Amino acid sequence: MSETVLSFDAIRQDFPTPGAHSMIRVIDGISFKVGSGKFVAVIGPSGCGKSTLLQMAAGLLMPTRGGVRHRGRPVNDVNREVGFVPQQAQLFPWKTLAENVELPLLLRGVASVERKQRVASALEAVGLSGFEHYFPSQLSGGMQKRGSIARTLVYRPDVILMDEPFGALDAQTRMVMQEDLQMLSRAAGATVLFITHDITEAVLLADSVVIMSQRPSRLLANIAINLPRPRDVFEPFRNPGFDAAYEAVWSVFRSQIDIRQRAH
Amino acid sequence: MNDIAATTGSPGEAELPTARRRSWLGKAVHALTLLLPGIVILIFWQWAAGRLIKEIYVSKPTAVAERLYELFSSGEIYPHLWTTGQELVLGYVIGVTGGILAGYALGRSPRLASIFEPYVMAFYGIPKIALAPLFIIWFGIGIWSKIALAGIMVFFLVFYNVYTGVRSVDRELVNLTLVMGANQRQLTYHVYLPAAAPYVLLGMRMAVPYSVIGVIVGEFTSSTQGLGLFIHEASSTYDPAGVFAGIVILLAFVVVANVLAGRLERRFLRWKAPSAHTPSEI
Repeated sequence: MSETVLSFDAIRQDFPTPGAHSMIRVIDGISFKVGSGKFVAVIGPSGCGKSTLLQMAAGLLMPTRGGVRHRGRPVNDVNREVGFVPQQAQLFPWKTLAENVELPLLLRGVASVERKQRVASALEAVGLSGFEHYFPSQLSGGMQKRGSIARTLVYRPDVILMDEPFGALDAQTRMVMQEDLQMLSRAAGATVLFITHDITEAVLLADSVVIMSQRPSRLLANIAINLPRPRDVFEPFRNPGFDAAYEAVWSVFRSQIDIRQRAH
Repeated sequence: MNDIAATTGSPGEAELPTARRRSWLGKAVHALTLLLPGIVILIFWQWAAGRLIKEIYVSKPTAVAERLYELFSSGEIYPHLWTTGQELVLGYVIGVTGGILAGYALGRSPRLASIFEPYVMAFYGIPKIALAPLFIIWFGIGIWSKIALAGIMVFFLVFYNVYTGVRSVDRELVNLTLVMGANQRQLTYHVYLPAAAPYVLLGMRMAVPYSVIGVIVGEFTSSTQGLGLFIHEASSTYDPAGVFAGIVILLAFVVVANVLAGRLERRFLRWKAPSAHTPSEI
């Protein structure tokens, strides 16, 4: 078993309901660990607090009960050792692509010469060389997403938190991005915590899939995916063992979807 | 690494279509269409004065031009210009500076905002013109009462824009920057200021005519020198050519200031209107 990087211990989260003075429980006791160099996907029905977990890991939100530890240290403040790739690319529109990718290094006081080198290699890694001086508004959605990933990879964070990063992309771009992410994270040996609502995506990318229930959400299962790598993201069904792995996740997840349909 | 051809194409292809550079002729035609309505009005004015309406009421363009020439060649207008110019520049600068500082402070601090916002909004609603006589009493008959009046009109406009701008900064972008390692100072420099810049510049541009109104109203109310006084005197001595001459000078000032503000906007908001596009006309 590899060393634990992130651990969520009995997380509970209540949010005030708008208008009323009562609280609504979103997360009700979730615990799981993310091992070093592992790719962990979290899936769950919408509104179950998946993104909330990432906010906690980044130290942007304190859980009502329980806590998050990063390499054994409780996360009580903004956690600068993580990288955050949000749902939207969120590049700074007033900075060029190169300036965007450079910013974390600048904020961390990296010297100018090294900054240039690292920005160039990060942009090359995501296939955006030649676009350094473009503003985000001049780039396509997929390119902005690449820029956003480069901006995170460039400072080599200990953990990369990704919040449904490919949700807004079209189907083809998405497959290409999944393939790239698989290669990049393997090459960098990165630890990734990846939120998604797409079972196929979770099974294809992850070493283990954490399944959350409806609100108030609990942990339903933490399923290891032992498919050989590299995996074929373009034709998922061609991966030996894919069907069984998908079935293992789906058999747990389907109950949540049934509940939803009855509720409507 | 995968090729990115699936969505993006090569650098050359992804480049925005470079705007067609207007030919020299195209520019001339464009300038002409821009000037045409003004020319038509001037011609009509010239023709109508003395025919449809008595010249004593409306003067006529040639008379106004003549008066302008006299005013400048005799040097009669310069002291007025100097006074009004000083008032405009100082009132504008003070108002803009105050507006930016206050708007930024309240925009960044929800606590300050919750205390002061109702007051600012209440004062915002006061017609500032109504304060003109009071300002004369408080700040005297000289330039400072006009600076105060122009300054306060500019202040509220800029304040409101900057306040809105700072408050509209995306919370997620701020959080992202914090995780990247920014401290408060860096957050201000890399996120809040650039995000608020379009609002600041819009406020600055909108404030130009307001500073003119503030100064002229102040001078109308009571003054010893200035363009407002000049216009006031001209109108009270049945001299419409003088009134229009004064107005033309003010007009020229506003147009020049607007062009400068537009330049500033394009310079700072390069990222908004990609440089390949021709900037829109003012």
